[in-house]
Parts: sequence; C-alpha cells; structure tokens
Amino acid sequence: MSIRIHEGNSAGVDVTRRSFLRTGAAVAGGMAALAAALSPLKELNPEEEFSLEKFIQKHYKEMTPDDMKVALERIAGDVERRYNVRPDVRDFRPRAGVEFVYALNLSRCIGCRKCVHACVAENNQSRAPEIQYIRVIEMPRGTMDLEKGNHHYDRPSVPDADHFYMPVQCHQCANPPCVKVCPVEATWQDDDGITVIDYDWCIGCRYCEAACPYWARRFNFVKPEIPDADINKDMGYLSNRPRPKGVVEKCHFCLHRTREGRQPACLEACPTGARKFGNVLDPKSEVSQILKTKRVFVLKEEVGTLPRFFYYFDERYPRSLDPEAKEIALSLGYAPSAGGWTPPPGEAPRGTNHGEVTR
Amino acid sequence: MIREYLTFLYRCFRLSFVGTAGYYVWMFALSVVALLGLNAYCKQFVHGMGVTGMTDHVSWGLYIANFAFFVGMAAAAATLVIPVYIYRNRELSHLVIFAQLLAVATIIMSLLFVVVDLGRPDRFHHMMLRFNFPISMLTWDVISLNGYLLLNLHICGYLIYAAYRRREPTKLFYIPFVMIAILWAFSTQLVEAFLYCGLGGRPFWNSAVIAPRLVASAFAAGPSILIIALHVISATTDYHVPEKAFLTLRNIVRLAMAASFFLLMSELFTEFYTDSAHVASARYLFMGLDGRHGLVAWIWTALSLNAIGLVILFTPASKSRGFLIAAAAMMIVGVWIEKGMGLVIPAFIPSPLGEIVEYTPTPNEWLVTAGIMAFGFLVFTILVRVTIPVLSGKLAFDRPYDPTRADATPATNSGAAGA
Amino acid sequence: MRRAARTSLVLWLIGPAFLGVAAYLALASPPASIPIDQMKIIPRDAIKGGAWRVAKVDAAGLVAGSDRPCSECHKLFTTPPGENKALVQHKDIVMNHGMNTRCLNCHDGDDRDALVLHDGTRVAFTDTPRLCSQCHGTVYRDWQLGTHGKTLGSWDAKDEKHRRLTCNECHEPHSPAYRPMPPLPGPGTLRMGDQSRPAEAHGKRSPLRQWSTPHTPAAPEQPAEKSTESGGGGAS
Repeated sequence: MSIRIHEGNSAGVDVTRRSFLRTGAAVAGGMAALAAALSPLKELNPEEEFSLEKFIQKHYKEMTPDDMKVALERIAGDVERRYNVRPDVRDFRPRAGVEFVYALNLSRCIGCRKCVHACVAENNQSRAPEIQYIRVIEMPRGTMDLEKGNHHYDRPSVPDADHFYMPVQCHQCANPPCVKVCPVEATWQDDDGITVIDYDWCIGCRYCEAACPYWARRFNFVKPEIPDADINKDMGYLSNRPRPKGVVEKCHFCLHRTREGRQPACLEACPTGARKFGNVLDPKSEVSQILKTKRVFVLKEEVGTLPRFFYYFDERYPRSLDPEAKEIALSLGYAPSAGGWTPPPGEAPRGTNHGEVTR
Repeated sequence: MIREYLTFLYRCFRLSFVGTAGYYVWMFALSVVALLGLNAYCKQFVHGMGVTGMTDHVSWGLYIANFAFFVGMAAAAATLVIPVYIYRNRELSHLVIFAQLLAVATIIMSLLFVVVDLGRPDRFHHMMLRFNFPISMLTWDVISLNGYLLLNLHICGYLIYAAYRRREPTKLFYIPFVMIAILWAFSTQLVEAFLYCGLGGRPFWNSAVIAPRLVASAFAAGPSILIIALHVISATTDYHVPEKAFLTLRNIVRLAMAASFFLLMSELFTEFYTDSAHVASARYLFMGLDGRHGLVAWIWTALSLNAIGLVILFTPASKSRGFLIAAAAMMIVGVWIEKGMGLVIPAFIPSPLGEIVEYTPTPNEWLVTAGIMAFGFLVFTILVRVTIPVLSGKLAFDRPYDPTRADATPATNSGAAGA
Repeated sequence: MRRAARTSLVLWLIGPAFLGVAAYLALASPPASIPIDQMKIIPRDAIKGGAWRVAKVDAAGLVAGSDRPCSECHKLFTTPPGENKALVQHKDIVMNHGMNTRCLNCHDGDDRDALVLHDGTRVAFTDTPRLCSQCHGTVYRDWQLGTHGKTLGSWDAKDEKHRRLTCNECHEPHSPAYRPMPPLPGPGTLRMGDQSRPAEAHGKRSPLRQWSTPHTPAAPEQPAEKSTESGGGGAS
C-alpha cells in the first residue's frame, strides 16, 4: 500500500510529520463536526421512545393473547407515566354478524361542530396541534363539489339559511384505498367493516393519507399534546389510546364503544339526531331502515371506495329558517307576535292544524 | 482472492482521500452540507415531522419530490447503456460506467429521501416482517430501487474490478445484468409513476400519462447531469471523453424533452379544455386558485427553463460546450422543479375535501434535502475518483497508484468530478 | 510547486474549518421551530352526550324540579278553550308551533296531568309521539322506523340500554323548531395558513347565479345555545 497522501516533493520526516498532523487535525475536526451534527439526539428520551419491548412487539394479528396482555400492560404504564392517569386499555374484537354502517341526515345537521369536539374528547386526540377526525363543511346551495365548501365558517349562529352542512369523517370503505397502499399492513379492515390502524406498527410513510379520497387520515407530526385531566381512560388498543408521534390515525367508529354495543361519541353529542349508526346486517336496525326508505348517497361514489358512510336529505332545509312558512301563516290571517303567531279573530275549530307551519 | 479484493477496497478507500486542492475544497464543501443536513435530520428525528412544512393537507413534500426526481436520474443511466449495448456504439462503451455510477449515487439519494420522509424510521424493520407485496405500490418501489441498486453495483463493481485485475470482463458475468438493468430502469420509472397514478382520490395524479411523462422528463434530466459530469471529468482529469458522447447525450436530451413537452401539452389540454372539477389542481399549479398562487412562479420558471433549453439544443449553437452545459443545467433545474413542485405537491392542493393549504418547505427541510444531495454527490465523486485511475490502468493489482508518480498531466485532478 | 503548496494549505485548513462547523452546529444551529397554536378549551357541557332537553313533566307526571303534578295548580286555574293567555305561571312558554296555538289542542282541559288527542283520548306526558303523530304523520312514521330522532344507549335494538328518545326530549313542544346556536370553534391544524375564503361566486353563466349568496355571516335570529325556557330544559 504505497499510496501516499501527500505530494512527496521532499519526502522527509518533517513532511511526514506535518502531513500526519494535518490529517489528524482534519480527522479530528471532521469527527467533532459529526458529533456536533448529531447533538440534537441528546434531547431524545430513549426509554420513552424506543424500548426493546416496543421494538420486538409483534403485529397486532400475530399477537397471542399473552403478547396482547403484555402490550396492554405496557401501554397502560406508558399512559400512566405520561398523563398520571391509570387507563383501562383493552383489546376490542369485532362481533360476529355485525357490519357497521353510518348514516347522516343532511337535512338535520346544523353545523354546530359538537360531534367534532366530542370526538376529540372521546378519542384522546391531540389538542395542540389540533387533530380532529371530523370535518364539518358548510356547503352553498346547488353544489356537491367539496371545493366550494367552507371548513372554517365562523358565524354567530348556525345553521345559515343559504347553506347546508356536511360532516365528513372516515367512511370505513368496503374497498379501502388506504389499506391497499400500506406497505407494512399496519392498517386493515376488520370483520365488522371498521378499518383499523396498529399504531405500534405504522412506519409513518403517509401513503394512506395520500390515498384517502375523504381526507380522513391524520398524521402525528409532533408528539400529541393532551391535558392530563382530559384523558379518556376507557381505551382500546386499536382505537383511542394515546398515539405516539410519527404515526397515522383516523376515525374508527369509536370501536371501543361500538363493539360493546354503545353508540359512537359523535352520535351521542349530536343535538339534532342527524347521526345514525348501527348494524347493516340486521334488517330492522335504524341504518337498515334508512338505507331502505331514504334516498341515500355516498360521497365521491366515482372513486369506487364503497363507503359505509351514507348521506341523505329528507326535507328541504332547516324549518326554523323556512321563509315560506311565514308567508303561509300570513295568508291564513295569522299575525306575527313576540316569538310566535296570533291566530285570526274568531275561534278556530279544533283539529284544523294540519300544516306544519313554523316561523 | 478475498484478500486481493479487500486490498482493492482498501486502495480505493485511500485513494478517495487523495487529490488536489480543488478536490479537497469540493469534498469539504459537500461534507459540510451533508453534516448540516444530518444535523437538521437529527432535529426532525427528535421533534417529529412537524419541523417540515408538510401538513395533513400536503402530506408529501420536498422529500418525496426529490425522491421522484432522483429515481428518474437513476433510470436515466439507461440512456447511455442502450446505445452501447443495444446499438453497439463502441465509442461510448467506456463511458457507460459513469452513467451506472451516477445511478448508484442517485438511488442512494432516493432511498435516503424515503427514509427521511418516514415518521417512524425506527420501525423500518416492519417492512421485512410484514411486507404488503404485491398490493402496495410502495413495496414494489422498495424492490425496484434496491434491485436496481444491486444490479448497478454489481455491473460497476465487476467491470472496475476486472479492469483492476487487468482482465477482459467475462461477458456472461455482466451483459445479462446490463440487459436486465435496462428493463429494470424503465420499471423503476413505471413503479414510481404507479405510486402516484393509482390513487383515485387524487385526480391530478390519476392519469395514465404520468408514467410516460416521468420517463420522458427523467430521460431529459438524467443525460443532462451526465453531460455536466462528463464535462467536469474531461476538464479536470486526463480521462478522454469523446465529443461523440456529448452529441449523443444532446440528442437524447432534446428528444426526451420534446416528448415531455408533448405529453405535458396532452395533459394540459385534457385538463383545461374539459374544464371539469378535476382541473382544480392544475389550475392551482399554473394560474393559482382562490387567490393562492404558491406554485405558479415555480412551474412557469420550470417550463421556461425547459423550453429555452430545448430551443438551444435544437440550434447548432448547442454543439459548443458552453451552450450545451447551459442547456443541460436548464433541463436539470427545470425538471427538478417540474417533478417536485409540479407533480407531487399540486396533487394535494386542494385537499380531497376542498381546502387549500399551501406548502412551503421549512429551512430545516431544505437543509435535510441539501444534505442528502451533498451526500449523493460525495458518493458519486468518490466513485468517479477511484474509477478513473482503475480504468486508465494507473491503479491495478500490480500497480498501486501513486499520484506523485503519475505522468506530467494533471492526473491528480481527477477528483472534482461531481456534477 | 505551487499546486502542492496550495493543496497543503487547503489540507491544513480543513481541520480548523471542520471545527468551525462543529462549533456552529453545537452552539449556533437554530432550534427546530414548530408553530403550535394554543389549545382551545371546549367546555365539557357543550359536547356532553345525551338527550337534548329534559321534558318539563317527568315520567312520574310531576313538574320537573318539584314534587307536584300540574293538576295541583290547575285545580284553581282553568283554561278556557279558545284562550291562549299566559297568566301567572307560564310566562316562560313561548308559543311558536305554527298555527297550533291553543293550549288545549294538546293539553287535556279536564285532566291537567294528561295530554289529549283530537278524538278526546287521554295520553300520558311521556307518550308524546302518539300525540304529535296526529299532525306530523310522516315524521312519526320515520321515528317509528328509527330514521328520525336520536337513539341512546346502544345501536342494537336487542340491547336493553337501547332507548329511542321521544319528541319532547329533543323538541320544545311549544316551540319545536330548533333554534340556531353558535357553532363550536373551527379546525386549526398545523401550518394551516390563512383560510379565509373569497366570496362564493357562481359564475356568470351559472344557472344558479340568482340564488348565490354573498359570503357574509347571517345575523343570528335567536342566538340561544339551548332551549331553556321550559322548566328543566337546558340540561343535555
């Protein structure tokens, strides 16, 4: 090996020593620069971020009941350390003979966003930065083009007479593009139709986020922040346990509630009963009745995702805002009075109130 | 045998630290940028992807854009391989290796861009444990890139080592791989395009013309980088690059860019003449949408650069080296913008639910990107640095290369070869 | 040789230059900045699940919040048929039920602890659907199928917790239409940027243009969060 690393115009000892010093200085400088470049890593909390236990944890579908027990115990411990709350973390499996479907009555939705925030509270979503599974879009008249809608409406009160309100969340598609694209099978469709995510398996490539036509998926760009007092202790492995940073999450139809027979949190918070949830395999369920009797539609049917989330209108627009009703009342001789209507002079016979006239 | 090979590797390693002042300055500069990038990445690793400009709306940004660009660069190695191995253009045969070395360096860059884009790089091994092949196009991409890397490493490594051993390379050991690599190069582009155009929820990508567009623009920018690289090699080393090489590359670039424009026009006509709701992303890209114009300046810069470059290449002026280099540089920058700002980002704007959230890369993100590029050029420079003495017979198993004993020509300059 | 001297100089400089880089990275490299907004505090009451309102008369037939039935007072105060006057007690009731403006259309004038159908059949206060169905037939049909109204407890009708709310658990019977309410805050995701939108415009040629609305927030008619005027209302 006689490659010399100097020019060797005068190959004396002095030159060799100088060259050695020179090289040494360059190597030392380089190493120092490398160490300095890596210095942000010292802010890592290796125990919290990367335990061996987490590293060797298996994919959800490969876990034995014992593995699951260990994982749930670890998650509970993590939550307790971080939020000072002892949670009840469980693994909820789909029920046989159940396929969940959601139906949303756009005539009833008033755009109050209670569902959005009830969902955040139920599912331990990050408050800062905000992660929300539900988007309520204020749509102008005459369009189903979401690009004409407004997510950021801020009115003194809703609903507005010239708009309808369209909440969008994960549609739990029967042909889910997000599941197709995941390179590591961290997301899949369960037997009850809910597409779930193993937060401990996701590698955070966000391909599913790009694939979803409903913009249902959210990525934890930073470590999610939740006030200790707001933690919902009732947790599921595949649903609302606090997520680590760098993974994707989304609506899971509150599976820790619904697989126990309860209603999703967004439905419970809805003041108008616009939200309907149930088992489509039960012909008598509310959602089956809606699919049977209402003219339902799905969003972006053309992308072929076969959503389990249906929309329908069953009336014109919010009655409280119906201007025609006023005209009818006036034409019948009713006079507007403070907060209501004064009937015309003379007693109206009982049982003639057939119209659904409101102000 | 093994000892012999280790000696070869050691000699290559030592050689990569030898050069002229220019070589050292170039390598130092690249190292510094790479270190800045590493530092920026460490911050991203600690604090999360939030340090990038990406959002839930624009969930892929600069990293994936560069990934798309450099995969194209890697595939463009085929542009030199095809004339040589299929059309038997002997004059260029010894230049093929540089194209393949470029492929090696650019694939390494592409892979790094994917890794820095992951939210959980610590779980990379999950790929090995549950690989969603053949359903997920990303798994195809992993296979296509790593396969292409291995193919090129094998071909280059074999040819260089054969030259080092002063042996004529056995055709059986590399020609089949070269042929596979040619097909593989196209397939990397195809897989890359399918990554995007298979998504029904993104109308901007959901177009069959994406794959040919990617191939065309890659075959314009890739040879352009080769033009510059070969020019630098011929200017700083005694290695002879025949003029024919530049003319062949010039031909390829102008044909590819013309095809790229043709495909772009087809796409734009379909989008804008139809004027359906699907045009929103294209409108945002070219004209701005709802008062947001984030990408308009970028795309018109890109198209102007490409158009001017194309015009130059079609005039005889481009036979002069200066114009050729200028045109090549325009192609590279133009395609780089078009693939990144022009292909990846607008697909996210507006979001599937119609929101317009613009994307601006953060300084940290730019640093990571620059760091990866610098690292890639570092790799390419070193590869070229050790390859040239071997190919010219100055470094061989029986002749350890000593720059001081090299002939009077400034052979020691062989370093500063990065594009 | 000048070249050699130059190379030597560069090599000498590399070490210190790297140290300079190290110093910059260790000391002056800017920390990562992520523009995270302040947390929005959403009052828990605003998102509490359950029935929208509490009926004024509870299941036991007592006026909510008291231990007396309606008839306790109405022994003294009668309501003439045709009359619709709020005298002492019911000033809080706002009648806004279309043309259905008379108390005794729904309340039984003879038994104040019951409601009454048009044919004179008495109906308990808890059985509002039967009463309301007289006029709101299609809504009643939907309610029976479960497609109108709200169901609590369980989505599964076989589950004993499954409970379909009755009309007056959501609607204030005297003023049944929902009042507009202020919406909870809108989304504020990371790096969302300015999300104000230009006015909605249907193009010149759009057949919808005469119905397009300027994008100005409508003034609230009655910005009330919940119907609170009747008895124990307001609880959700």
